[in-house]
Amino acid sequence: MRPLLLATGLCVFLFAPPEVFAQAPQNPDADLKEFEKLMDQEILENMESEEYEGDKPLGSKALKRLDLMEERLKKVEGMTRQRATTFGTRGNALGATSTGVNRLFNPAISLNALVLGAYRSEGNRKKSGESDHAHGDELSTGLDIQELELNAVAFVDNYLRGVAVLALHDLENIEIEETYVDFVPFQNLSLRAGKYFTPFGRHNLLHTHQFPFIDAPLANIAVLGEEDGVNEIALGLNPILPLPWFSEINFLIMDGRNEELFNSDFSDDLAYLIHSKNLWDLGENTTLELGGSYSFGQNGTSFEDNRTHVVGGDMTLIWSPLNRTRFRSLIWQSEYLAKFKTGPFDPATGFAGPDEDVGGVYTFVQYQIHQRWWIQGRYGFVGLHQDDQGEEDTHRYSALLAFANSEFQAIRLQYNYIDYENSGSRGFDNEHQVLLQLNFTIGSHPAHTY
Amino acid sequence: MTNYNFYNLKIQLFAGSLLILFLLLPNPALAKLNIVSTTTDLAAIAEEVGGSLVEVNFICRGYQDPHYVDPKPSFMRLMNRADLLLYHGLDLEGTWLPQIIEGSRNRKVRFGQMGNLDMSLGIDPILEIPQGIVDRSMGDIHPFGNPHYSMDPVNGMTLADSVAERLSILDPDNEKTYHANADAFKSRVASKLKGWHKKLHDFEGTRIATYHRSWSYFFHRFGLKYLGNIEIRPGILPSPRHLAELSVEMKRRKSKLILNANYYPPKWAELLAKKSGGSVAVLPVHIKGEPQVNTYIELIDYLVDQIADKLSGNAGK
Repeated sequence: MRPLLLATGLCVFLFAPPEVFAQAPQNPDADLKEFEKLMDQEILENMESEEYEGDKPLGSKALKRLDLMEERLKKVEGMTRQRATTFGTRGNALGATSTGVNRLFNPAISLNALVLGAYRSEGNRKKSGESDHAHGDELSTGLDIQELELNAVAFVDNYLRGVAVLALHDLENIEIEETYVDFVPFQNLSLRAGKYFTPFGRHNLLHTHQFPFIDAPLANIAVLGEEDGVNEIALGLNPILPLPWFSEINFLIMDGRNEELFNSDFSDDLAYLIHSKNLWDLGENTTLELGGSYSFGQNGTSFEDNRTHVVGGDMTLIWSPLNRTRFRSLIWQSEYLAKFKTGPFDPATGFAGPDEDVGGVYTFVQYQIHQRWWIQGRYGFVGLHQDDQGEEDTHRYSALLAFANSEFQAIRLQYNYIDYENSGSRGFDNEHQVLLQLNFTIGSHPAHTY
Repeated sequence: MTNYNFYNLKIQLFAGSLLILFLLLPNPALAKLNIVSTTTDLAAIAEEVGGSLVEVNFICRGYQDPHYVDPKPSFMRLMNRADLLLYHGLDLEGTWLPQIIEGSRNRKVRFGQMGNLDMSLGIDPILEIPQGIVDRSMGDIHPFGNPHYSMDPVNGMTLADSVAERLSILDPDNEKTYHANADAFKSRVASKLKGWHKKLHDFEGTRIATYHRSWSYFFHRFGLKYLGNIEIRPGILPSPRHLAELSVEMKRRKSKLILNANYYPPKWAELLAKKSGGSVAVLPVHIKGEPQVNTYIELIDYLVDQIADKLSGNAGK
């Protein structure tokens, strides 16, 4: 099964129709020659005239094609010219109906699907049999629909903008991933209320289909939890500070339901989060972003007022040449995350469990070598702040090759090598993983992020 | 003890919130109206109309593809201070402008406000409005029509009027100045129009291949025609077969010119030229797209001269 899956995946990726890949060379200069060769072949075979000079008769095939081309041209040129009929922005009246059911005010809807093929050298073991930090447990050898996400966004009225994101996991569970409204009560301040991915660092903000790699960084999984990270029902104040660079503060009051961090079911306490995002332009092609995050709240380790403190720092450097925005870019992003979670304590027996502290880092580079091709590398580590707890470190090395035929689809092939410290004595081996993902979006154009 | 600490923390958070609110107090009012435009074309026209009464900034550089702009937070900061936002509309900036507006926390430039001006509203006719159902199989199609209307100098005059009208609403004390400035700009463009027509008159009906349909309004004004596009569909890279067809069609039509906007890689245009015997002109399609193109009139001047030279075969002479 495993070799078969792997072979199939690789075949799809590497031996896809030449027409697709001929257009998207990894080395544009070298492969332009290949493109030219294919073009010559087309002229020779389909146009039936290698050295057409304008006076020789063309073959029937060629004439047919050219007629078609001219027909298309005429069609475009003949497109009617209309005056705008709407106020505010120019549009057509597609939504108007005589039935009174007007579709004009429907939200912009998009649907994203992630089809995943995965291979794990360690097989599909049960989580209980693994180390505490054998991350990547959500992965199993086989084929899966990693996620199906439905996104709807619209202005609620003159004041609010509403967003709802539903996600279907494992083809069974529907989760309300986000539902919130944004409001700008006065200049420089926006409010957000509802359930959403909170700005704890850079990666925590992302939906699964926006992840730079197929899987989440180890640090995010170990510190913020495997589910959705810090995705909370919250009220957030998001001012822009009047400083000479872009500086934004996010101050959030959260319900604190994250089981890994807070799980405040035992009490009526809330959790809090503050994040600072700062961005500088280093010339017109490059930006540097530095961010810091801190969150705290009561955790669920006991009935006592045990707290969890979470800290994070992030740095992102983006280079994107303005005259070739779609064709070249480089992103270098690093993040540090750590939690300091007071362990359980039972006042009746005096039993005190160890604190559950853990920290990790990741750093990755994403390089766009062509309009459609990306190569990426990532290193992740988990094991900080847990030296005296008998926990082991985990390192993960990842490489990824992405082919994005358009903004609406991408095929990505990723390799992970996971190095578990003392893996031999812990009863399992270091692990190799190969992941192949098809990512596609239909519907409204997804918002670009930066 | 813990509760006491937490109480202290709550006070600190409250004090922190007050500090944030203090920082949010409105900035001192600036004497000049602050205009932010999406492109250099609209910025240049706003400068012509607003003169010394306005301060104008733009987001997309003249040598940058306006379809694909990163919504950098620094643009949100720029937009945060804007009194008026000018944009092309027709979905040209649809993938990035909404994020900048949202991120700016500036109520003045939100959709539906007086500080938000879709410049396409004054343009007539809008070209190439797709008929029937539009979907993604057609590439990055503009469902409301071709948004590159600023390349037609007559539209440039209309844009000046639109800016003057909106500035007069935002700053009624200077209404006369805005309209006078717009009229002066229009008469300068009008005085050049005859000369531009004259230069391109001999080439009316000539078919030209282009990378993207950036040129529709310019062609419409000066009687030039498309032969075809290097892109298979908007935003879709060419295939060998598509370029082969185009090269044969160029030979058949004796078409000799390929226009490539300077933010698209010229390699496909060069290959097409090699196969068809034509030549490539890599040209700016927005103001400040080249160092010598700094005003609206300079842009049209430059394009007319370059295209006329290429078509008459004396380029470089």
